[in-house]
Amino acid sequence: MTGLRRVMCIEDDADIRLILEFSLATVGGYEVLCCAGGRAALSQAPGFRPDLVLLDVMMPDLSGPETLAALRKLPCMDGVPVVFLTAKAMPDELEQLLEHGATGLIVKPFDPMTLPHDLLPYWEHGRGGRGA
Amino acid sequence: MPLDILVVDDIQESRRALCALVTELGHSAVGVDSGLAALEAVRRRLPDLVLLDLLMPGLDGFEVTRRLRGLTGGRWLPVIATSSLQGDEHVIRALHSGADDHLSRPVNPALLEAKLRHYGSVLGLQSRLASLAQRQRDMLDNILDPVLTLDAAGRVEELNRAALALTLRDGGPLAAGASCMAVFGVELPALLAQRECRLHGASGEAFPAELGLSEWREEGAAHYTVVLRDLTERRQVERMKDEFLATVSHELRTPLTSVMGALGLLAGGAAGALPAGALPLAEVARRNGERLGRLIDDILDLTKLEGDRMALHLRPQRVQPLLEEALAANRAYAARAGVSLWQEPDAAAPGIEAALDADRFLQVMANLLSNAIKHSPAGETVRVSVHHGGGALRITVRDRGPGIAPRFRARMFEKFSQADGTDRRAQGGTGLGLYITRMLVERMGGRISADDVTGEGAAFSVSFPLASTLASTPGSAAAPALPAPPALLHVDADYESRARVARWLTPDYRVAGAATLAQAEAEAAHTAQTAPLLLIGNPQSQGSADAFCAGLRRLAAGRPVLLLGDSVDQAFGERLGLPWLSLANGGAAELLSVLQRLLAGTHGSGPPP
Repeated sequence: MTGLRRVMCIEDDADIRLILEFSLATVGGYEVLCCAGGRAALSQAPGFRPDLVLLDVMMPDLSGPETLAALRKLPCMDGVPVVFLTAKAMPDELEQLLEHGATGLIVKPFDPMTLPHDLLPYWEHGRGGRGA
Repeated sequence: MPLDILVVDDIQESRRALCALVTELGHSAVGVDSGLAALEAVRRRLPDLVLLDLLMPGLDGFEVTRRLRGLTGGRWLPVIATSSLQGDEHVIRALHSGADDHLSRPVNPALLEAKLRHYGSVLGLQSRLASLAQRQRDMLDNILDPVLTLDAAGRVEELNRAALALTLRDGGPLAAGASCMAVFGVELPALLAQRECRLHGASGEAFPAELGLSEWREEGAAHYTVVLRDLTERRQVERMKDEFLATVSHELRTPLTSVMGALGLLAGGAAGALPAGALPLAEVARRNGERLGRLIDDILDLTKLEGDRMALHLRPQRVQPLLEEALAANRAYAARAGVSLWQEPDAAAPGIEAALDADRFLQVMANLLSNAIKHSPAGETVRVSVHHGGGALRITVRDRGPGIAPRFRARMFEKFSQADGTDRRAQGGTGLGLYITRMLVERMGGRISADDVTGEGAAFSVSFPLASTLASTPGSAAAPALPAPPALLHVDADYESRARVARWLTPDYRVAGAATLAQAEAEAAHTAQTAPLLLIGNPQSQGSADAFCAGLRRLAAGRPVLLLGDSVDQAFGERLGLPWLSLANGGAAELLSVLQRLLAGTHGSGPPP
């Protein structure tokens, strides 16, 4: 058992939310909460207390980086790794995203069969950060 | 042509007689009786010609002639002095005062008629020339783009109306006499090499402009006419296009993510085991989804590269770690194809540094490696080797596949080219890979080439200038040296043509350009260190073609010479005994192949085959 249990996904596309839920809950066995946007995520994060957040970059209303900045202000998010999901539309912006305080990047299209496993290094990294 | 003639004579009788005679000859006449009245009449309405009595009370004819010169506004007003004086002295004095001609009184009607006809035809010619010049001026002024003509020293000689809306770097108005530096911020030689510049508008705001430059000669002196086109709007459109493409790419990837995700889950059994027959179908869908993703990537890269809008982060770095990363990233793909990847050991490799953009270098290597894997039969090995020397680093990727079809060689680095149309589907490529690879390599200051080893598979090499060699080991001296690209001097009066040939030949050759033989000599002396290995010349607009070719030969001093231009043909080349290439039906590929043969010495005098 790795200890990674609760994953929060913030993604505006309903179909991708379904794939994420299937991948992380059915294949990965995690407890998953999918939010359609940054605002919903901000209100639900304190109750859900995620171990890791998967965050889409391009979203209407609140963008990925904006959501990240707001999430970082929540006490329940202290030390929680946030991994961006990006469509790799703008390679030059990838570095900027990491500078925004993200733990990592997962590029779309991703492989849903390996995604639960692919998240583990980020969670390990985040846990290390929390211990320090 | 009927003329308006002013007749000036204080004696009424002779004035009337002269007016009558002028009218009889088909012209119109106005008579005045004094010098002052004549000046007043000219001020009111400029006649075509003046018949002026020299001897008058008050202002005499000599004085009137002198004063008339100030009243014509630069136009030529012929003045024919009349008098009954004997001898030439007063005629000479009248001509010195500014008169054009003289008639003795009493006036001989036939002589007057002949003189008026002569002045009529000269005035007619002059007005035609003036209206022609005005027409040219109007056309120039009605060009919406600023047009400037600079002299050989870079001073503005002429400018059109649109150019008046520009300002100098220091904020002053642009006018004839301004220096190249004041207008463009660079000296003339630098400007000649530019395709773009920054200008300042009426309120001092800077904007980017495209620079269309042509060089021409007048009595041996060079002039440069520059047409400037505001690029602000085009830049805006490009930015919108980039944003649009980024959006399109995102919009395309979002459904692709769902499609690929759903397929992956189905094939992975996440929704329950699939019947045996369904798995190959899911695999077909997955493979094509991946291909669609690659196409989206390639088209995005292509658009950015072609628009010169891809930002590269070049920094000197060790090449070996990047190479290992590229090999590692392609191991899984190679394993699936049953192909192994192997880097030839080289003791010096770990120390080699080049100025690269790491991500883009990885993309280049990924492309070459995946190409090699794709074309390798199962069980074979793709070999990667690193050589350095001569200030450059060369990485070669060699496969044991079928090799490069001769038909494909000429266009393999072009857009949408694949070895075989039917091959495209079988191999799942986009036809953009090598083209994008070439563009990326060139943007990083490198070159790409395909080595021809018939029957032994294909070998692609990329080379980059070496940043430095750290910790070079004794063994590194044995590494094969890479020759610098050969230098070439191109003499052509046409700037555009020089620029085009330079584009075609870079980076295979280091191309220097010269408009004339004199410039070429200066250029050759200047670059004595890197003497050109061969010369290209276009005899067009260079005076005598024979003299030009003789000069070219003298300058070449035994090195190969190629005549290149629209006007050269077989007869011309044979007469001068020089190899030639006509650009009327040849392009970059023909030129490169002729040059290769010239350098190899397999192409002596005479026309190309």
